Amino acid sequence: METKMPMVLDVISENIIKHGSPLALKGSEVASWAKELNLPVKGDLLFYTGGEYQMLPFIDSLVKTITHLDQGSKVFSMMMGARNILNKTGISPEKMYASVLAKDKDRYNSVCFKAAKVLKELGYEFCYSGSEELYSGALLYELGYLKDMKDYAKRVVEVIKKSGAKTIVCLSPHAAEVFKFVYPKLIEGFDFEICTYIDLVWERRDKLAKISSPESVVIHDSCRLARELNIHQELRDILESVGAEVKEAQMNREWTSCCGGPIKILFPELSHVIGGRRVNELKDSGSSHILTSCPYCLSALEGGRAKGDSAVIEDLIEFLYRGVKA
Amino acid sequence: MTDFRKDFVKYAKSLNEASEDKNIRTAISRAVSSYRNTVSETLERFPHTPALAEEVQEIKTRSMATLDTLLEQAMASVERNKGKAFYAKDHQAALEIALGIIGKGKTVVKGKSMLGEELHLREYLEENGNEVWETDLGEFILQLRKERPMHILSPSIHVPREQVAEVFTKFFKKEVPPDIAEEVKVVREFLREKYFTSDVGISGANVVAADTGAMVIIENEGNVRLATGAPPVHIVMVGVEKLVPTFQDAMKVAEVTWRYAQYGVPGYVNIVSGPSKTGDIEKVTTYGAHGPKEFYVIFVDNGRKEMAREEKFTQALHCLRCGGCMYECPVFQVTAGHFGHTYMGGIGTVWTAFVSGGMEKAAPLVYSCLRCGRCVERCPMSINVPAMIGELRERIVYGTYED
Ligand code: SF4
Repeated sequence: METKMPMVLDVISENIIKHGSPLALKGSEVASWAKELNLPVKGDLLFYTGGEYQMLPFIDSLVKTITHLDQGSKVFSMMMGARNILNKTGISPEKMYASVLAKDKDRYNSVCFKAAKVLKELGYEFCYSGSEELYSGALLYELGYLKDMKDYAKRVVEVIKKSGAKTIVCLSPHAAEVFKFVYPKLIEGFDFEICTYIDLVWERRDKLAKISSPESVVIHDSCRLARELNIHQELRDILESVGAEVKEAQMNREWTSCCGGPIKILFPELSHVIGGRRVNELKDSGSSHILTSCPYCLSALEGGRAKGDSAVIEDLIEFLYRGVKA
Repeated sequence: MTDFRKDFVKYAKSLNEASEDKNIRTAISRAVSSYRNTVSETLERFPHTPALAEEVQEIKTRSMATLDTLLEQAMASVERNKGKAFYAKDHQAALEIALGIIGKGKTVVKGKSMLGEELHLREYLEENGNEVWETDLGEFILQLRKERPMHILSPSIHVPREQVAEVFTKFFKKEVPPDIAEEVKVVREFLREKYFTSDVGISGANVVAADTGAMVIIENEGNVRLATGAPPVHIVMVGVEKLVPTFQDAMKVAEVTWRYAQYGVPGYVNIVSGPSKTGDIEKVTTYGAHGPKEFYVIFVDNGRKEMAREEKFTQALHCLRCGGCMYECPVFQVTAGHFGHTYMGGIGTVWTAFVSGGMEKAAPLVYSCLRCGRCVERCPMSINVPAMIGELRERIVYGTYED
């Protein structure tokens, strides 16, 4: 039997399959952060962004479109392009997301840059696939497009193999999760060592420069990191190394509360309510400086924060970069 | 071709409305902190519980693997105890068997049961000319408000005392103040009369021991005790997944259930295995001494056996209905039973797909799960709901499910 899924799922899954990015961003745009770094394309350690941080500002405008239009309506389907048009051309992010603010784009693009800089400081040498890098397909897996994921994963692996790397370091815990647990089931001989960005920083945390931050910080443990990948103490260790005072939310580590991000594209309002509640839970710790380690958490908590709330929400990468500049 | 687009839009609206409902918000936050406190307190007081829960997981795994044998055994045990046992393949069969026993023009008192909700039992019996009373206070309130439960253990969790007073004042045709003790009292008086004048009592069961045919029913209010003890007929309607091999197993399951279901120590644990009897006069066994003279058990399948056969879903049948996962679910915390269709939350979504509603009803629910995994952390049976949700999504996307 054939099923007709909400349009936004069609758009996202087809974009991944056809364009290697959930929002059909161009490879050159996704890789623009790395211009000045001249990273090699081959090496033992592959720096993998999956285009996820770069995509965040666009997700928000996609979500705004969804929130303001009835997903079942004609207008919505026109906005999103009919399925057959989609097959030929994909969605043009330039047209669809014209409202994206340059400052948001810069901020999220620079997360990758900052991450790379921090690793360099710690003495890591790594390569990057640049504009050829493909999104991991985590959303295909999440949203149930597993058969499509099987074919798609082959293409991702081809690109990864070109680098000659043995180890892949993932900025996003979602990418780390699928590479670690899903890819080995889909692709024979997928034997890369998968680690998260946090793993690498943690190993050399003694080398991190101290960060002078007058206020304390509170960690929002990402679900994937804390529960699937079992990484939570590492975050505290890293922050201790840079001399930050860490406050704890009541629900933390493996009991962390989800940011609401995973349902953002289908149930945007509810996702915001959940994100907003999590922001408050985190602030109840006594700190209003929230650090997370996942692109979707970052975006969902930002989206959930109440208007006028002065809480600072940052990725740990952004926080650690303060030490690099100093 | 199944078009889910409209269903998603409609469902999203209902979730949004629920998330703006202040009653739900306040009630659930209160309930969540009380749940967390009671459970951590009682786990500290009874530290053997997590290990016992692991043992129960094994009991459940074994039981679901031998479900057919257990069912046969349990039915034989009930008959040996002079009760009558039935097997209902589906929803309709279950209702018809119950109606066959009850007939028309009867008064029925009913204990709380999710299976009853699944079958729309009360409505069916009423349509067929019977008077039916919910005796659990929460369900009684919902019966009067013509609403469906918002939580499996505290069905009327979203109704504050003021609204209870309002509906009671109207129903009892006298001023009932928004005072909880007063509200409890009027219902107590009203139902007391019903227990002793009704023809039939219906209950569910938390666990059933196949070797003895013992039905174990956990409760706090004492309504089940009365509803199953006072009327001349007692009917148990229970899902086949509640079967375990032995009486000892059943006790273990019961203890783990009440511990995680926030009872701490429950007020009452009822164990019923057959009709009431006496041999006090000349050692002649006579039925219906003080309790019911007739005892019936209807074992309901309605999709459960199919679930048991599916490797990826059989674990969902281990659910004790303790409700813990719902309290830890970020979506449930703001929408209560709106994230559900009879059965609620992530585990309820899986149950919806197989048992109550089918995949079409389940599809939007399946996509509102965050797959954040905190429910697994909470669940005494460690049921991997996010993995099941992933599997359901795949079946929905590719249309590989049966209607
Ligand atoms: S899934 Fe687990 S936590 Fe949820 S109600 Fe069932 S037994 Fe309790």
